[in-house]
Amino acid sequence: MKFWRSTGVILGICILLSACAPTVQVAVPNEPITINLNVKIEHEILVKVDKEIDDLFTENSDLF
Amino acid sequence: MIKCALKTVMKPLILLTLMVSLANTAWALNLDEAKSQGLVGELSNGYLGLIKNGNSAVKNLVDDINRKRRAAYAAKAQKAGVELKIIEIRIGERLQERAKKGEYVQRSNGQWQKK
Repeated sequence: MKFWRSTGVILGICILLSACAPTVQVAVPNEPITINLNVKIEHEILVKVDKEIDDLFTENSDLF
Repeated sequence: MIKCALKTVMKPLILLTLMVSLANTAWALNLDEAKSQGLVGELSNGYLGLIKNGNSAVKNLVDDINRKRRAAYAAKAQKAGVELKIIEIRIGERLQERAKKGEYVQRSNGQWQKK
């Protein structure tokens, strides 16, 4: 009698878990990746541009 | 005779050298003076702006500096592989940041602000 009860409890937990399982797979990878890429490119451009501007300040200090 | 020729040649030469060197120092002072006197200020697009109209000497200075700046920006834009506009916007930011106390910068609303 006890054996059947515990089996029923385990079975119930299993059903509950399997019912919950589908909710785990939630992930939309499309948009965040594009945004990240844009940020990276902009940052790289800014570093490059700033380097050239530093050169400009030292080479043509009479213009500023 | 030789002494006379030396005198006639040397005198204008010395005078000329003196004038050129004077003009040079005046030129070098001009931009800083114009800035500290509030005649010109930094625009947000990387170029010098005229704050008060009327003085043609200051206007000439602004035009001359801006022409040279533009050529320098174009060269640097090509070197960095970006459009001229990007260099102009960024250098506008940086020039306004590094403007000294008492100098003017133009804010995005078009108003001149004393730093």
